Amino acid sequence: MSAGGDLLDETAARHLREPWDQLRLAEGRAFALQRAGATFGIWIFIASEVLFFGALFLLYTAMRLEHAADFAAAARETNIVYGTLNTALLLTSGLCAAIASQASEREGLRRLTLWCLALTAGLGLAFMVVKGLEYREDIERHLVPGAGFALKERATQLFFGFYWLSTAIHAIHLSIGIGLVLRLIWKEWRAPGFLFESPQVEVAMLYWGFVDMIWIVLYPMLYLDGRGG
Amino acid sequence: MSGASSDASTLANPRELDLGLPVSYLAEGHSVRSWLFTTDHKRIAILYALSITFFFFIGGAAATLVRLELFTPQGDVVGADTYNKLFSLHGIVMVWFFLIPSIPTTMGNFLLPLMIGARDLAFPKLNLISWYLNLAGGLLTLAAVLAGGIDTGWTFYVPYSTVFSNTFVTLAVLGVFVSGFSTIATGVNFIATVHYLRAPGMTWFRLPLFVWSMYTTSLIFVLATPVLALTLILVIAERTFGLPIFDPARGGDPILFQHLFWFYSHPAVYIMILPAMGVISEVITCYARRRIFGYSFMVYALVAIAVIGFFTWGHHMFTSGMSPFAALVFSFLSFIVAVPSAIKVFNWTATLYRGQIGFESPMLYALGFLGLFTMGGLTGLFLASVPIDVHVQDTYFVVAHFHYIMVGASVSAYFAGLHFWWPKVTGRMYPESWARFAALLMFFGFNLTFFPQFIAGYLGMPRRYYSYPPEFQVWNVLSSSGAAVLAVAYLMPLGYLTWSLFYGSRALNDPWNASGLEWRTTSPPPRQNFFGNPQVLAPPYDYHPEATPPGDEPRIAEEGALT
Amino acid sequence: MSGRPRKAADGIWLRGLVVWALLLALLGASLVAAYAVPAPWTAAINFGIAATQAGLVALLFMRLDRADALVRLAAACGLFWLAILFVLTLTDTLSRLANS
Repeated sequence: MSAGGDLLDETAARHLREPWDQLRLAEGRAFALQRAGATFGIWIFIASEVLFFGALFLLYTAMRLEHAADFAAAARETNIVYGTLNTALLLTSGLCAAIASQASEREGLRRLTLWCLALTAGLGLAFMVVKGLEYREDIERHLVPGAGFALKERATQLFFGFYWLSTAIHAIHLSIGIGLVLRLIWKEWRAPGFLFESPQVEVAMLYWGFVDMIWIVLYPMLYLDGRGG
Repeated sequence: MSGASSDASTLANPRELDLGLPVSYLAEGHSVRSWLFTTDHKRIAILYALSITFFFFIGGAAATLVRLELFTPQGDVVGADTYNKLFSLHGIVMVWFFLIPSIPTTMGNFLLPLMIGARDLAFPKLNLISWYLNLAGGLLTLAAVLAGGIDTGWTFYVPYSTVFSNTFVTLAVLGVFVSGFSTIATGVNFIATVHYLRAPGMTWFRLPLFVWSMYTTSLIFVLATPVLALTLILVIAERTFGLPIFDPARGGDPILFQHLFWFYSHPAVYIMILPAMGVISEVITCYARRRIFGYSFMVYALVAIAVIGFFTWGHHMFTSGMSPFAALVFSFLSFIVAVPSAIKVFNWTATLYRGQIGFESPMLYALGFLGLFTMGGLTGLFLASVPIDVHVQDTYFVVAHFHYIMVGASVSAYFAGLHFWWPKVTGRMYPESWARFAALLMFFGFNLTFFPQFIAGYLGMPRRYYSYPPEFQVWNVLSSSGAAVLAVAYLMPLGYLTWSLFYGSRALNDPWNASGLEWRTTSPPPRQNFFGNPQVLAPPYDYHPEATPPGDEPRIAEEGALT
Repeated sequence: MSGRPRKAADGIWLRGLVVWALLLALLGASLVAAYAVPAPWTAAINFGIAATQAGLVALLFMRLDRADALVRLAAACGLFWLAILFVLTLTDTLSRLANS
């Protein structure tokens, strides 16, 4: 279709940057290569983040193996309602992110893309609000390691040290994700048509999916242990 | 000068015709802005070269003070706490702000696109961000030093670093943390570049070994550094936020810190040697006028070192209290990782066989590398053996071993590459006799510094001590004297290479009659690297094949008679 | 012309919602398992559920199922290297625990 072809050429011209524009290939082919390069690049970064969070999870595993009973006792004190609600929020945001990514690759789905991006960011922000409420409750219940800690077994403080650390690191990554999504919305507002086929959408949405995956693994670690099963 | 060259003084080689070609990358923009906001991989390589040289001399200054203190058995130059801060500074700066970036960010950045026939790296803006992250990390660490220093050693062992030390641990750790992102970004860039931007005809098994070494190093960058990042966060979390993580008094396991730390730091030593190996393959082939012996096995060896290197980290922990069973597993794996390194040494030696060997300065550094790397590697095998390690762990034997590899091998290779590619990067030739003298002085000074340390360590002298029993003094005096010689040998290239920038003769496009795409463009190259589009038609190392008589021609035509 | 994008949108939504429903069902299952399944098994089941959910997100939301081999290799390397970290460290942790 010539209409589709023109739109693609415009898109390639909009997004093509050095050195991909100097490969002596047709614009469309060069752009496809640039997109593939960007996707590959973000997956390499995700692999590195797997090791980053994986090391954190190793810490949890080693500590839990050494102090199984205390960890169960401590995990009972986390708020499972907030935790499960947050998990559902993030899973839904993952749905919106996946749809936004796919919609941005098809003509005529600009509004769907924008709505899904906005929902993704919105659900992410909702997660942060719930987390904030949860943190406030944890502080009131003296679940911060140190003097005045609520539980008496020593290793329960190790669990809560991990809890605060891992949720904080996750929250930082989530904030970066929210920032990336808001930036995409802003760029589309400034230059309509920016999102169509933009490699930046795929990159941001893959990052978001990964942050989602981290929480999926964190949830059973923090909330599902020691519930009396 | 701007625009196409029109008079003889702006030509790379005045004897070449003026074809109205684009200017070199150095001439395109002279403002500070054009350098600090560049996305040209060649300029970024120069920015890195400046920053790592700066950090090298800071780390070197710390080493000078350490060796000065160790001239005498008593602690008389600095106090004990200051001494701890000095060796910590030396280790942290040399490892993270000199050695790890050195070859990859300077030569890797400059040469990788050139060697594969590309215009730039896959993500040029990310490359610039890498440099800024590296600089920011370095400045944070420097701030920690200026504020009063850190005394935990470069290894930050817990619980000392997290609970007991009264120095600027968090600030220094933050500096290293930030620089880690720089290396991860570089790794992503290099890997994507090699996969996607090779010129037509440049298949994987036609890549120069230097490119393979950059690729495998990048794998380590991407897979090991994140674990360090997390580990450093854990140190900050325990120290600054008081969260219980490793403190045994609160139920933590200090050995877990060591596992996490060394999971990165052992592959980190391969980050420091693989690029050096890549450089040596390029230099030895050129100056022996021979193709590399066993190209495929050289590739497999690079990959094997990068991969198996991830399985061996426990050999740093044999005396930590880890389980003897795990110690045996790590010891076995550590013996295995020596095999691909040995294969490489055999292949370099075989490359020399029946070659037309010349002793140009890069070759002197490369030959030095061969000997020093072999010594360092063999002593590594001693350390991989648990019964021996139990005796020499935390002694100068270990210090000598790793300096033989990191300084003897890696730094020699860095200088070999610096000299080999200097004409390409700057368009100038350096004074060869000064360079040869510096290379020989460095080899001599290095051995004088570090060989006595093997003896001192074997005889029992502990590391990280500022005073020692008098029976070790003779070895320490030899070592400190060697350090003085080494210091001169390091200052010399700083001198003559800088001189060459202003007064050196202009280099030809291919002064060494070398093989490789980087030599098929001008010295220095233009911004877009090549004129026209390179296409690769033959395997690498297109040198004089074995058993062909050399005839009357000199090895390297431009040099004239055999040197 | 507006028909094709609408159908494409519906296709995307449908696939997405199926995966989302599966993910939430698994979430529910893990909640139930935490309270109802006896102690030694709950960790295995819950982490197994988490791994399944992560797999669904990776394959279907992050589209690893239709990605090129190179991308899948990158993802696999992340997991493999993580396995090295876990296995070798745990040989030490577990053998010290067993012998203490």
